[in-house]
Amino acid sequence: MPIKFKIPIFDVKNLNFSVRGQSILSNISLEIFNGEYVAIIGPNGGGKTTLIRMLLGLEEPTSGSIKLFGKKLSNFKAWHKIGYVPQRASLVDANFPATVLDIVSMGRTAQRGIFSFMNKKDKSAVEDAMIKMDILNLKDKMVGTLSGGQRQRVMIARALASKPEILILDEPNTGVDMVSQRNFYELLAKLNKEENITIVFITHDIGVIADDIGRLVTVNQKAIICNNPKEALSCEEMSALYGIEAHLIHNHKHEH
Amino acid sequence: MIEMLSYEFMQRALLAGMLIALLASISGTFVVLKRYSMISETLAHSALVGVAVGLVAGYNPLWIAVLVAILSAWLIEYLRSSFSLYSDAILAILLSGSLAIAVIIVSLGGAFNNSLFSYLFGSILSVSDEDVLTILFFGTLSLALLLAFAKELYFIAYDEEVAKTSGIKVKLLNFLLVTVVAVIIALSIRVVGSLLIGALMVIPTVSALQYRVGFLNTMFLSIAFALFSVVSGMTLSFYFSLPSGATIVICVLIIFVISLVGNKK
Repeated sequence: MPIKFKIPIFDVKNLNFSVRGQSILSNISLEIFNGEYVAIIGPNGGGKTTLIRMLLGLEEPTSGSIKLFGKKLSNFKAWHKIGYVPQRASLVDANFPATVLDIVSMGRTAQRGIFSFMNKKDKSAVEDAMIKMDILNLKDKMVGTLSGGQRQRVMIARALASKPEILILDEPNTGVDMVSQRNFYELLAKLNKEENITIVFITHDIGVIADDIGRLVTVNQKAIICNNPKEALSCEEMSALYGIEAHLIHNHKHEH
Repeated sequence: MIEMLSYEFMQRALLAGMLIALLASISGTFVVLKRYSMISETLAHSALVGVAVGLVAGYNPLWIAVLVAILSAWLIEYLRSSFSLYSDAILAILLSGSLAIAVIIVSLGGAFNNSLFSYLFGSILSVSDEDVLTILFFGTLSLALLLAFAKELYFIAYDEEVAKTSGIKVKLLNFLLVTVVAVIIALSIRVVGSLLIGALMVIPTVSALQYRVGFLNTMFLSIAFALFSVVSGMTLSFYFSLPSGATIVICVLIIFVISLVGNKK
């Protein structure tokens, strides 16, 4: 359960978004607190990505207010506190001239001055992020030559290099095999528990991470917030959300 | 080579050419990585409008070309970021529009002569001391800006949205990049020509990309290819009385073919 006396990382009130008169999201109110692990689910086209993009200032809401760390989005400057891994993260252009080190170092760009090389603090943050993601041995490899799972870890390392307090991931599993996905979920849970990094995660694999997440937000034009995700996972509710008959397969990893 | 360097006009042309090679290849790296290669062609045609106005009105064509190319770059960036238009369509519209305006201006002003052709295809004979100074002044300024924001421009080229969410002023830096590219293109048309400068900006980087090395090494390779092409192109141009811009482009094309074939998987 969120601790209410703290300033929320995200404080969203009565958010509306429409395109050419067609409502995409309506009347969304949501608070996300430090240390939470929040999963966002919903059908394709339901507005999950649009919601995240508005929280990050990439889309302008039609109405409503967004505060980040207690500040209005338009006045917010401390972007290094937020790490963002977009949907297409692991689909890197194979020809882009970048080593793993080049990509992870991008995470420090906004904190460095003009003309400046990376200082000790930058180098240590980049190395630290690569160690956490277990990609230090790949640092001189070209990103285009890596597997989907390795690329995914590189993209998260880039987000972690700025030492964020919150990590926002938008279905970053595209092009990633099942084993890598499993490792990836374990890694997110570890970052949340051991590093106290708040995680906001758009996913379809809700059954797999149900044991890890603290809150579930279902988005299909409107947002419904469930403080106990396991309660929300009834077939009836999932069927209503996705508009088709749903069958849930639960993860039993903690049952033996 | 020594005989060639004994001529003052060749010294001027080589100095201007090497500066342009350096500027075109560095800015070209960002332009190619942003998949914005066609902007060099469009801005080169916009610069022609400035040349036409300069020739007809009797002002320094290079200065007016710089001014018109900057205004055109801003218009492209404004249209790209403010309207739901395809980037390549905006570039195609402005390219043909600029050329049409330039042709009408020179036609009305009766300036269809050798002077115009030297701006279209480049001429090492026409590079004056004033041109070299103009290229040195604007070139140094452009180089300083590119180097100051190289890491930000690289991040934006990789992923504009992620760069924005990390706190980088993407819109401002996109305007800065197109402005610097406009200046470099306008400066280059004296030596390489407006119809050929796009090649010097794009081909060295595309050749360097074939070697699949990291960002800095790609940029260094691109600079080396551009410098080699300009020096060898101008040397061939001097000894065989060939047009400088076209010879430079043929040299860089040979490097591209070697890079492509040599690195084929």
